[in-house]
Amino acid sequence: MATKSIRKPTTSKTPEQQRLWLMYPSRLIQKPFIWEVGQKFKVITNIRQCSVTDEIGIVCLELDGPRDEVKAAIRWMEKQGVNVEPVEIGVIAG
Amino acid sequence: MSEKHQGFMKALKCRECGREYPLAATHVCEFDFGPLEVAYDYERIKKSLTRAAIESRPKTMWRYRELLPVAQEPTVGQQVGFTPLIKADRLAKKLGIRELWVKNDAVNYPTLSFKDRVVSVALSRAKELGFKTVACASTGNLANSVAAQAASAGLKSFVFIPSDLEQGKILNSLIYGANVICIKGHYDEVNRLCAEIAGKFGWAFVNVNMRPYYAEGSKSLAYEIAEQLGWRLPQHTIVPMASGSLLTKIHKGYQEFVKLGLVPDTEARLHGAQATGCSPISTAQKAGLDFFKPVKPDTIAKSLAIGTPADGFYALKVMRETSAAADDVSDDEIRDAIRLLAETEGIFAETAGGVTVGVAKKLIASGKIPRDSSAVICVTGNGLKTLDAVQGHCGKPREIKPSLREFEALLTQEEKANA
Repeated sequence: MATKSIRKPTTSKTPEQQRLWLMYPSRLIQKPFIWEVGQKFKVITNIRQCSVTDEIGIVCLELDGPRDEVKAAIRWMEKQGVNVEPVEIGVIAG
Repeated sequence: MSEKHQGFMKALKCRECGREYPLAATHVCEFDFGPLEVAYDYERIKKSLTRAAIESRPKTMWRYRELLPVAQEPTVGQQVGFTPLIKADRLAKKLGIRELWVKNDAVNYPTLSFKDRVVSVALSRAKELGFKTVACASTGNLANSVAAQAASAGLKSFVFIPSDLEQGKILNSLIYGANVICIKGHYDEVNRLCAEIAGKFGWAFVNVNMRPYYAEGSKSLAYEIAEQLGWRLPQHTIVPMASGSLLTKIHKGYQEFVKLGLVPDTEARLHGAQATGCSPISTAQKAGLDFFKPVKPDTIAKSLAIGTPADGFYALKVMRETSAAADDVSDDEIRDAIRLLAETEGIFAETAGGVTVGVAKKLIASGKIPRDSSAVICVTGNGLKTLDAVQGHCGKPREIKPSLREFEALLTQEEKANA
Protein backbone atom coordinates (compact mmCIF):
# COMPACT_ATOMS: atom_id res chain seq x y z
CA MET A 1 0.00 0.00 0.00
CA ALA A 2 3.08 2.27 -0.08
CA THR A 3 2.62 5.48 -1.99
CA LYS A 4 5.51 7.09 -3.84
CA SER A 5 4.92 10.75 -2.98
CA ILE A 6 6.27 12.08 0.32
CA ARG A 7 3.66 14.10 2.16
CA LYS A 8 4.18 16.63 4.89
CA PRO A 9 2.83 14.96 8.04
CA THR A 10 -0.26 16.50 9.56
CA THR A 11 0.38 18.12 12.97
CA SER A 12 -1.80 19.81 15.57
CA LYS A 13 -0.74 23.18 14.17
CA THR A 14 -1.31 22.38 10.49
CA PRO A 15 -3.59 25.07 9.03
CA GLU A 16 -6.98 23.55 8.50
CA GLN A 17 -10.05 24.63 6.62
CA GLN A 18 -13.25 22.68 7.11
CA ARG A 19 -16.47 23.22 5.21
CA LEU A 20 -19.42 22.08 7.26
CA TRP A 21 -23.19 21.80 7.37
CA LEU A 22 -24.54 22.44 10.84
CA MET A 23 -28.06 21.36 11.74
CA TYR A 24 -29.56 22.18 15.12
CA PRO A 25 -32.94 21.94 16.86
CA SER A 26 -35.12 24.88 17.84
CA ARG A 27 -33.88 24.90 21.45
CA LEU A 28 -30.48 26.11 20.17
CA ILE A 29 -31.77 28.82 17.85
CA GLN A 30 -31.51 31.57 20.48
CA LYS A 31 -28.00 30.52 21.44
CA PRO A 32 -25.25 32.46 19.56
CA PHE A 33 -23.04 29.39 19.29
CA ILE A 34 -21.22 30.43 16.13
CA TRP A 35 -20.09 33.62 17.91
CA GLU A 36 -19.12 31.46 20.91
CA VAL A 37 -17.04 29.16 18.69
CA GLY A 38 -15.06 32.19 17.52
CA GLN A 39 -14.53 33.30 21.14
CA LYS A 40 -13.61 29.93 22.62
CA PHE A 41 -11.33 28.64 19.86
CA LYS A 42 -8.72 30.15 17.54
CA VAL A 43 -10.88 29.74 14.47
CA ILE A 44 -12.30 32.05 11.84
CA THR A 45 -15.97 31.45 11.06
CA ASN A 46 -17.61 32.30 7.74
CA ILE A 47 -21.27 31.54 7.02
CA ARG A 48 -21.83 30.71 3.32
CA GLN A 49 -25.59 30.11 3.42
CA CYS A 50 -28.21 29.44 6.06
CA SER A 51 -31.86 28.82 6.78
CA VAL A 52 -33.20 29.30 10.28
CA THR A 53 -36.87 28.59 10.94
CA ASP A 54 -38.71 28.02 14.22
CA GLU A 55 -38.18 24.26 13.80
CA ILE A 56 -34.58 23.86 12.64
CA GLY A 57 -31.40 25.81 12.00
CA ILE A 58 -29.31 24.86 8.96
CA VAL A 59 -26.02 26.69 8.49
CA CYS A 60 -23.24 26.16 5.96
CA LEU A 61 -20.07 27.19 7.76
CA GLU A 62 -16.41 27.52 6.84
CA LEU A 63 -14.00 27.06 9.74
CA ASP A 64 -10.33 28.14 9.45
CA GLY A 65 -7.59 27.66 12.05
CA PRO A 66 -4.92 25.33 13.42
CA ARG A 67 -6.04 21.70 13.08
CA ASP A 68 -6.47 21.03 16.81
CA GLU A 69 -8.53 24.19 17.29
CA VAL A 70 -10.84 23.32 14.38
CA LYS A 71 -11.27 19.79 15.75
CA ALA A 72 -11.98 21.10 19.26
CA ALA A 73 -14.49 23.60 17.89
CA ILE A 74 -16.37 20.80 16.10
CA ARG A 75 -16.37 18.63 19.22
CA TRP A 76 -17.70 21.55 21.29
CA MET A 77 -20.52 22.22 18.81
CA GLU A 78 -21.48 18.53 18.83
CA LYS A 79 -21.57 18.64 22.63
CA GLN A 80 -24.05 21.53 22.41
CA GLY A 81 -26.35 19.30 20.33
CA VAL A 82 -25.41 20.51 16.86
CA ASN A 83 -25.29 17.92 14.07
CA VAL A 84 -21.99 18.57 12.25
CA GLU A 85 -21.49 17.13 8.76
CA PRO A 86 -18.80 17.75 6.17
CA VAL A 87 -20.11 19.85 3.29
CA GLU A 88 -20.50 16.65 1.23
CA ILE A 89 -22.87 15.18 3.89
CA GLY A 90 -23.06 11.42 4.25
CA VAL A 91 -19.77 10.40 2.65
CA ILE A 92 -20.27 6.82 3.85
CA ALA A 93 -22.66 5.16 1.41
CA GLY A 94 -24.45 1.82 1.61
CA MET B 1 -12.15 22.60 -23.05
CA SER B 2 -12.44 20.91 -26.43
CA GLU B 3 -15.37 18.76 -27.49
CA LYS B 4 -13.11 15.73 -27.25
CA HIS B 5 -12.70 16.38 -23.55
CA GLN B 6 -16.29 17.04 -22.66
CA GLY B 7 -18.44 14.92 -24.95
CA PHE B 8 -22.05 16.03 -24.59
CA MET B 9 -21.43 17.71 -21.23
CA LYS B 10 -21.41 21.50 -20.99
CA ALA B 11 -20.22 22.26 -17.47
CA LEU B 12 -20.66 21.49 -13.80
CA LYS B 13 -23.42 23.68 -12.39
CA CYS B 14 -24.30 24.59 -8.79
CA ARG B 15 -27.75 23.28 -7.86
CA GLU B 16 -28.24 26.26 -5.55
CA CYS B 17 -26.98 29.36 -7.39
CA GLY B 18 -26.45 28.07 -10.94
CA ARG B 19 -22.78 29.14 -11.17
CA GLU B 20 -20.85 27.06 -13.68
CA TYR B 21 -17.51 25.29 -13.25
CA PRO B 22 -15.13 23.38 -15.54
CA LEU B 23 -15.68 19.63 -15.91
CA ALA B 24 -13.01 18.65 -13.37
CA ALA B 25 -13.01 16.43 -10.27
CA THR B 26 -14.82 18.92 -8.08
CA HIS B 27 -18.14 18.74 -6.32
CA VAL B 28 -19.14 21.88 -4.40
CA CYS B 29 -19.69 25.48 -5.44
CA GLU B 30 -16.91 27.73 -4.14
CA PHE B 31 -19.46 30.47 -3.47
CA ASP B 32 -22.22 28.83 -1.42
CA PHE B 33 -20.91 25.24 -1.06
CA GLY B 34 -23.97 23.96 -2.95
CA PRO B 35 -23.61 20.59 -4.74
CA LEU B 36 -22.50 20.60 -8.38
CA GLU B 37 -24.38 18.73 -11.09
CA VAL B 38 -23.51 17.96 -14.72
CA ALA B 39 -25.22 20.16 -17.33
CA TYR B 40 -25.57 18.81 -20.87
CA ASP B 41 -25.89 20.16 -24.40
CA TYR B 42 -29.39 18.79 -25.09
CA GLU B 43 -29.58 20.33 -28.57
CA ARG B 44 -26.62 18.22 -29.70
CA ILE B 45 -27.89 15.16 -27.85
CA LYS B 46 -31.26 15.44 -29.60
CA LYS B 47 -29.55 15.09 -32.98
CA SER B 48 -27.69 11.95 -31.93
CA LEU B 49 -29.95 10.10 -29.50
CA THR B 50 -33.06 8.71 -31.18
CA ARG B 51 -35.10 5.61 -30.34
CA ALA B 52 -33.66 3.87 -33.41
CA ALA B 53 -30.08 4.74 -32.43
CA ILE B 54 -30.62 3.46 -28.90
CA GLU B 55 -32.27 0.23 -30.07
CA SER B 56 -29.35 -0.50 -32.39
CA ARG B 57 -26.82 -0.46 -29.55
CA PRO B 58 -25.73 -3.23 -27.13
CA LYS B 59 -28.09 -3.91 -24.23
CA THR B 60 -26.16 -2.15 -21.46
CA MET B 61 -26.66 1.17 -19.67
CA TRP B 62 -24.18 2.70 -22.11
CA ARG B 63 -26.75 2.64 -24.93
CA TYR B 64 -27.73 6.08 -23.52
CA ARG B 65 -24.11 7.27 -23.55
CA GLU B 66 -24.89 10.82 -24.67
CA LEU B 67 -26.80 11.35 -21.40
CA LEU B 68 -24.02 9.98 -19.20
CA PRO B 69 -21.09 12.16 -18.09
CA VAL B 70 -18.15 10.76 -20.03
CA ALA B 71 -16.31 12.55 -22.82
CA GLN B 72 -15.50 9.45 -24.86
CA GLU B 73 -16.49 5.79 -24.99
CA PRO B 74 -16.67 4.27 -21.48
CA THR B 75 -13.63 2.31 -20.36
CA VAL B 76 -14.92 0.78 -17.13
CA GLY B 77 -18.01 -1.41 -16.72
CA GLN B 78 -19.04 -1.55 -20.37
CA GLN B 79 -21.35 -4.48 -19.57
CA VAL B 80 -23.26 -2.83 -16.71
CA GLY B 81 -27.01 -2.33 -16.75
CA PHE B 82 -30.02 -3.20 -18.89
CA THR B 83 -31.27 -5.41 -16.09
CA PRO B 84 -34.66 -7.12 -16.47
CA LEU B 85 -37.94 -5.25 -16.04
CA ILE B 86 -40.27 -8.03 -14.94
CA LYS B 87 -44.04 -7.94 -15.21
CA ALA B 88 -44.90 -9.04 -11.69
CA ASP B 89 -48.46 -10.36 -12.07
CA ARG B 90 -48.42 -12.60 -9.01
CA LEU B 91 -47.11 -9.82 -6.78
CA ALA B 92 -49.61 -7.39 -8.37
CA LYS B 93 -52.44 -9.73 -7.37
CA LYS B 94 -51.16 -9.92 -3.78
CA LEU B 95 -50.81 -6.15 -3.51
CA GLY B 96 -54.11 -5.49 -5.30
CA ILE B 97 -52.92 -3.37 -8.20
CA ARG B 98 -53.79 -3.64 -11.91
CA GLU B 99 -50.25 -3.64 -13.31
CA LEU B 100 -46.94 -4.02 -11.51
CA TRP B 101 -43.35 -4.23 -12.73
CA VAL B 102 -40.11 -4.96 -10.90
CA LYS B 103 -36.90 -3.36 -12.15
CA ASN B 104 -34.43 -5.97 -11.00
CA ASP B 105 -30.98 -4.52 -10.30
CA ALA B 106 -30.37 -7.44 -7.95
CA VAL B 107 -28.82 -9.06 -11.02
CA ASN B 108 -26.74 -6.10 -12.15
CA TYR B 109 -23.21 -6.81 -13.36
CA PRO B 110 -20.66 -7.31 -11.84
CA THR B 111 -21.58 -7.01 -8.13
CA LEU B 112 -25.36 -7.47 -8.03
CA SER B 113 -26.51 -3.98 -7.10
CA PHE B 114 -27.49 -0.70 -8.75
CA LYS B 115 -24.19 0.77 -7.48
CA ASP B 116 -22.52 -0.90 -10.48
CA ARG B 117 -24.14 1.83 -12.59
CA VAL B 118 -22.77 4.80 -10.64
CA VAL B 119 -19.34 3.26 -10.15
CA SER B 120 -18.99 2.41 -13.83
CA VAL B 121 -19.63 6.07 -14.68
CA ALA B 122 -17.39 7.43 -11.89
CA LEU B 123 -14.43 5.22 -12.81
CA SER B 124 -14.76 5.79 -16.56
CA ARG B 125 -14.72 9.54 -15.89
CA ALA B 126 -11.86 9.17 -13.36
CA LYS B 127 -9.75 7.48 -16.03
CA GLU B 128 -10.54 10.27 -18.48
CA LEU B 129 -9.37 12.81 -15.90
CA GLY B 130 -6.10 10.89 -15.44
CA PHE B 131 -6.61 9.31 -12.00
CA LYS B 132 -4.75 6.12 -11.13
CA THR B 133 -6.22 5.60 -7.64
CA VAL B 134 -9.90 5.49 -6.74
CA ALA B 135 -11.58 5.39 -3.35
CA CYS B 136 -14.90 5.29 -1.55
CA ALA B 137 -16.39 5.17 1.92
CA SER B 138 -19.06 2.50 2.17
CA THR B 139 -20.64 -0.14 4.35
CA GLY B 140 -21.58 -2.51 1.53
CA ASN B 141 -22.69 -2.35 -2.09
CA LEU B 142 -20.65 0.69 -3.11
CA ALA B 143 -17.46 -0.78 -1.62
CA ASN B 144 -17.97 -4.07 -3.49
CA SER B 145 -18.55 -2.34 -6.79
CA VAL B 146 -15.59 0.04 -6.50
CA ALA B 147 -13.28 -2.84 -5.52
CA ALA B 148 -14.46 -5.07 -8.38
CA GLN B 149 -14.56 -2.49 -11.15
CA ALA B 150 -11.25 -0.88 -10.10
CA ALA B 151 -9.67 -4.34 -10.27
CA SER B 152 -10.98 -4.96 -13.77
CA ALA B 153 -9.79 -1.52 -14.91
CA GLY B 154 -6.31 -1.90 -13.40
CA LEU B 155 -6.87 0.98 -10.97
CA LYS B 156 -5.59 1.00 -7.41
CA SER B 157 -8.45 1.24 -4.91
CA PHE B 158 -8.97 2.24 -1.29
CA VAL B 159 -12.17 1.30 0.50
CA PHE B 160 -12.90 2.94 3.86
CA ILE B 161 -15.30 1.19 6.21
CA PRO B 162 -16.41 1.52 9.85
CA SER B 163 -14.48 -1.03 11.95
CA ASP B 164 -17.61 -2.80 13.24
CA LEU B 165 -18.71 -4.01 9.78
CA GLU B 166 -19.55 -7.73 9.39
CA GLN B 167 -16.74 -10.01 8.09
CA GLY B 168 -18.78 -11.14 5.07
CA LYS B 169 -19.13 -7.62 3.78
CA ILE B 170 -15.41 -6.92 4.22
CA LEU B 171 -14.54 -10.11 2.31
CA ASN B 172 -16.67 -8.92 -0.63
CA SER B 173 -14.20 -6.05 -1.12
CA LEU B 174 -10.96 -7.74 -0.01
CA ILE B 175 -11.33 -10.50 -2.60
CA TYR B 176 -10.73 -7.97 -5.42
CA GLY B 177 -7.42 -6.84 -3.92
CA ALA B 178 -8.70 -3.49 -2.69
CA ASN B 179 -6.91 -1.71 0.16
CA VAL B 180 -9.62 -2.00 2.80
CA ILE B 181 -9.17 0.40 5.71
CA CYS B 182 -11.30 -0.09 8.84
CA ILE B 183 -11.76 3.13 10.81
CA LYS B 184 -12.54 2.96 14.50
CA GLY B 185 -14.93 5.56 15.83
CA HIS B 186 -18.43 6.94 15.62
CA TYR B 187 -20.15 7.27 12.27
CA ASP B 188 -19.84 11.08 12.29
CA GLU B 189 -16.07 10.96 12.92
CA VAL B 190 -15.55 8.34 10.21
CA ASN B 191 -17.65 10.45 7.86
CA ARG B 192 -15.58 13.61 8.44
CA LEU B 193 -12.27 11.76 8.22
CA CYS B 194 -13.24 10.31 4.83
CA ALA B 195 -14.11 13.80 3.59
CA GLU B 196 -10.68 15.00 4.79
CA ILE B 197 -8.86 12.09 3.14
CA ALA B 198 -10.71 12.80 -0.08
CA GLY B 199 -9.59 16.42 0.07
CA LYS B 200 -5.96 15.69 0.88
CA PHE B 201 -4.75 12.82 -1.28
CA GLY B 202 -5.82 13.78 -4.75
CA TRP B 203 -7.56 10.49 -5.55
CA ALA B 204 -10.82 10.00 -7.39
CA PHE B 205 -13.07 9.56 -4.36
CA VAL B 206 -16.24 8.33 -6.08
CA ASN B 207 -18.76 9.69 -3.59
CA VAL B 208 -16.87 12.92 -2.86
CA ASN B 209 -14.95 14.72 -5.61
CA MET B 210 -16.40 12.48 -8.36
CA ARG B 211 -19.96 12.77 -7.01
CA PRO B 212 -21.36 14.95 -9.83
CA TYR B 213 -20.40 12.25 -12.38
CA TYR B 214 -21.04 9.27 -10.12
CA ALA B 215 -24.60 10.31 -9.24
CA GLU B 216 -25.55 10.68 -12.93
CA GLY B 217 -25.12 6.93 -13.42
CA SER B 218 -28.41 6.40 -11.55
CA LYS B 219 -30.32 8.05 -14.42
CA SER B 220 -29.72 4.97 -16.54
CA LEU B 221 -32.24 3.11 -14.36
CA ALA B 222 -34.90 5.60 -15.51
CA TYR B 223 -33.95 5.35 -19.20
CA GLU B 224 -34.13 1.56 -19.08
CA ILE B 225 -37.52 1.53 -17.33
CA ALA B 226 -38.97 3.92 -19.95
CA GLU B 227 -37.56 1.96 -22.89
CA GLN B 228 -38.51 -1.47 -21.46
CA LEU B 229 -42.08 -0.26 -20.89
CA GLY B 230 -42.28 0.44 -24.62
CA TRP B 231 -41.12 4.07 -24.63
CA ARG B 232 -43.41 5.44 -21.95
CA LEU B 233 -43.10 6.63 -18.36
CA PRO B 234 -44.69 4.60 -15.57
CA GLN B 235 -47.54 6.29 -13.67
CA HIS B 236 -45.88 5.39 -10.37
CA THR B 237 -42.28 4.50 -9.49
CA ILE B 238 -41.39 3.39 -5.97
CA VAL B 239 -37.77 4.14 -5.12
CA PRO B 240 -35.73 3.30 -2.00
CA MET B 241 -34.16 6.36 -0.35
CA ALA B 242 -30.81 6.44 1.42
CA SER B 243 -29.28 9.82 0.53
CA GLY B 244 -32.30 10.51 -1.70
CA SER B 245 -30.05 10.83 -4.76
CA LEU B 246 -31.53 7.86 -6.66
CA LEU B 247 -35.06 9.31 -6.55
CA THR B 248 -33.89 12.71 -7.83
CA LYS B 249 -31.84 11.12 -10.61
CA ILE B 250 -34.68 8.86 -11.80
CA HIS B 251 -36.78 12.02 -12.00
CA LYS B 252 -34.03 13.77 -13.97
CA GLY B 253 -33.80 10.75 -16.29
CA TYR B 254 -37.55 10.76 -17.01
CA GLN B 255 -37.49 14.52 -17.61
CA GLU B 256 -34.58 14.23 -20.02
CA PHE B 257 -36.40 11.57 -22.07
CA VAL B 258 -39.42 13.87 -22.27
CA LYS B 259 -37.22 16.84 -23.24
CA LEU B 260 -35.60 14.81 -26.03
CA GLY B 261 -38.98 13.63 -27.34
CA LEU B 262 -38.19 9.97 -26.62
CA VAL B 263 -41.32 9.45 -24.49
CA PRO B 264 -44.67 11.31 -24.22
CA ASP B 265 -44.94 13.83 -21.39
CA THR B 266 -47.23 11.91 -19.03
CA GLU B 267 -47.63 12.15 -15.28
CA ALA B 268 -44.94 10.12 -13.49
CA ARG B 269 -45.04 10.10 -9.72
CA LEU B 270 -41.90 9.17 -7.79
CA HIS B 271 -42.68 7.73 -4.37
CA GLY B 272 -39.97 7.39 -1.71
CA ALA B 273 -39.43 4.35 0.51
CA GLN B 274 -37.47 4.22 3.77
CA ALA B 275 -37.08 1.96 6.79
CA THR B 276 -38.86 3.23 9.92
CA GLY B 277 -35.55 2.89 11.79
CA CYS B 278 -34.02 5.51 9.48
CA SER B 279 -36.74 7.63 7.93
CA PRO B 280 -35.73 11.30 7.94
CA ILE B 281 -37.06 11.91 4.41
CA SER B 282 -40.33 9.96 4.58
CA THR B 283 -41.09 11.46 8.01
CA ALA B 284 -40.58 14.99 6.61
CA GLN B 285 -42.68 14.20 3.53
CA LYS B 286 -45.55 12.85 5.61
CA ALA B 287 -45.42 15.95 7.82
CA GLY B 288 -45.50 18.21 4.75
CA LEU B 289 -42.07 19.71 5.52
CA ASP B 290 -39.52 20.84 2.92
CA PHE B 291 -36.59 19.96 5.21
CA PHE B 292 -35.67 16.86 7.21
CA LYS B 293 -34.36 16.39 10.73
CA PRO B 294 -31.23 14.19 11.10
CA VAL B 295 -31.73 10.83 12.86
CA LYS B 296 -29.55 8.04 14.30
CA PRO B 297 -30.20 4.94 12.15
CA ASP B 298 -31.43 1.70 13.72
CA THR B 299 -32.65 -0.71 11.05
CA ILE B 300 -31.78 -3.99 9.33
CA ALA B 301 -31.81 -2.07 6.01
CA LYS B 302 -28.15 -1.07 6.36
CA SER B 303 -27.79 0.08 2.75
CA LEU B 304 -30.42 2.76 3.44
CA ALA B 305 -29.17 3.72 6.90
CA ILE B 306 -28.14 7.32 6.27
CA GLY B 307 -29.35 9.56 9.07
CA THR B 308 -28.40 12.82 7.36
CA PRO B 309 -29.32 12.34 3.69
CA ALA B 310 -27.32 14.60 1.38
CA ASP B 311 -30.09 14.83 -1.22
CA GLY B 312 -32.98 14.72 1.23
CA PHE B 313 -34.01 18.29 0.47
CA TYR B 314 -34.02 17.64 -3.30
CA ALA B 315 -35.87 14.31 -2.91
CA LEU B 316 -38.61 16.08 -0.94
CA LYS B 317 -38.84 18.68 -3.70
CA VAL B 318 -39.27 16.00 -6.41
CA MET B 319 -41.98 14.23 -4.42
CA ARG B 320 -43.82 17.54 -3.95
CA GLU B 321 -43.51 18.42 -7.64
CA THR B 322 -44.74 15.02 -8.83
CA SER B 323 -47.57 14.88 -6.24
CA ALA B 324 -46.02 11.70 -4.86
CA ALA B 325 -46.04 10.11 -1.41
CA ALA B 326 -43.48 8.52 0.90
CA ASP B 327 -43.74 5.95 3.63
CA ASP B 328 -41.60 3.70 5.79
CA VAL B 329 -41.74 0.12 7.06
CA SER B 330 -40.56 -1.67 10.21
CA ASP B 331 -37.88 -4.38 10.23
CA ASP B 332 -40.57 -7.10 10.44
CA GLU B 333 -42.44 -5.57 7.49
CA ILE B 334 -39.14 -5.50 5.54
CA ARG B 335 -38.58 -9.24 6.17
CA ASP B 336 -42.18 -10.05 5.24
CA ALA B 337 -41.82 -8.06 2.02
CA ILE B 338 -38.55 -9.79 1.09
CA ARG B 339 -40.35 -13.14 1.45
CA LEU B 340 -43.41 -11.92 -0.45
CA LEU B 341 -41.28 -10.85 -3.42
CA ALA B 342 -39.31 -14.10 -3.34
CA GLU B 343 -42.42 -16.30 -3.05
CA THR B 344 -44.42 -14.51 -5.76
CA GLU B 345 -41.78 -13.54 -8.31
CA GLY B 346 -38.70 -15.65 -7.51
CA ILE B 347 -36.61 -12.56 -6.80
CA PHE B 348 -34.45 -12.52 -3.69
CA ALA B 349 -33.86 -8.86 -2.84
CA GLU B 350 -31.66 -7.37 -0.15
CA THR B 351 -33.27 -5.45 2.70
CA ALA B 352 -33.62 -2.27 0.61
CA GLY B 353 -35.80 -4.27 -1.80
CA GLY B 354 -37.94 -5.34 1.15
CA VAL B 355 -38.32 -1.67 2.04
CA THR B 356 -39.50 -0.78 -1.47
CA VAL B 357 -41.97 -3.68 -1.74
CA GLY B 358 -43.24 -3.04 1.80
CA VAL B 359 -43.82 0.64 1.11
CA ALA B 360 -45.49 -0.13 -2.25
CA LYS B 361 -47.89 -2.40 -0.35
CA LYS B 362 -48.70 0.40 2.11
CA LEU B 363 -49.17 3.05 -0.56
CA ILE B 364 -51.50 0.79 -2.58
CA ALA B 365 -53.49 -0.18 0.53
CA SER B 366 -53.89 3.49 1.52
CA GLY B 367 -54.98 4.50 -1.99
CA LYS B 368 -52.00 6.83 -2.52
CA ILE B 369 -51.18 4.55 -5.44
CA PRO B 370 -54.62 3.79 -7.01
CA ARG B 371 -55.46 0.11 -7.55
CA ASP B 372 -56.33 0.66 -11.23
CA SER B 373 -52.91 2.14 -12.06
CA SER B 374 -49.51 0.88 -13.20
CA ALA B 375 -46.40 0.97 -11.01
CA VAL B 376 -42.71 0.06 -11.10
CA ILE B 377 -40.87 -1.12 -8.00
CA CYS B 378 -37.10 -0.57 -7.99
CA VAL B 379 -35.13 -3.45 -6.47
CA THR B 380 -31.57 -2.22 -6.05
CA GLY B 381 -29.58 -5.07 -4.52
CA ASN B 382 -29.33 -8.84 -4.11
CA GLY B 383 -30.60 -10.80 -1.11
CA LEU B 384 -27.45 -12.92 -1.00
CA LYS B 385 -25.72 -9.83 0.42
CA THR B 386 -27.99 -9.51 3.48
CA LEU B 387 -28.62 -13.14 4.44
CA ASP B 388 -28.23 -12.31 8.13
CA ALA B 389 -31.32 -10.08 7.97
CA VAL B 390 -33.63 -13.00 7.11
CA GLN B 391 -31.75 -15.77 8.93
CA GLY B 392 -34.21 -17.58 11.20
CA HIS B 393 -37.25 -15.93 9.57
CA CYS B 394 -37.81 -18.29 6.62
CA GLY B 395 -38.81 -21.49 8.37
CA LYS B 396 -36.63 -24.60 8.61
CA PRO B 397 -35.99 -27.56 6.30
CA ARG B 398 -37.73 -30.83 7.30
CA GLU B 399 -35.31 -33.65 8.09
CA ILE B 400 -35.91 -37.32 7.22
CA LYS B 401 -33.91 -40.54 7.14
CA PRO B 402 -32.86 -41.87 3.69
CA SER B 403 -36.18 -43.70 3.38
CA LEU B 404 -38.86 -43.40 0.68
CA ARG B 405 -41.55 -44.49 3.17
CA GLU B 406 -40.52 -41.72 5.54
CA PHE B 407 -40.74 -39.14 2.73
CA GLU B 408 -44.21 -40.40 1.73
CA ALA B 409 -45.32 -40.21 5.35
CA LEU B 410 -44.08 -36.62 5.53
CA LEU B 411 -46.01 -35.64 2.40
CA THR B 412 -49.20 -37.31 3.66
CA GLN B 413 -48.84 -35.53 6.97
CA GLU B 414 -48.44 -32.17 5.25
CA GLU B 415 -51.35 -32.80 2.87
CA LYS B 416 -53.57 -33.51 5.89
CA ALA B 417 -52.34 -30.36 7.62
CA ASN B 418 -53.08 -28.24 4.52
CA ALA B 419 -56.44 -29.87 3.78
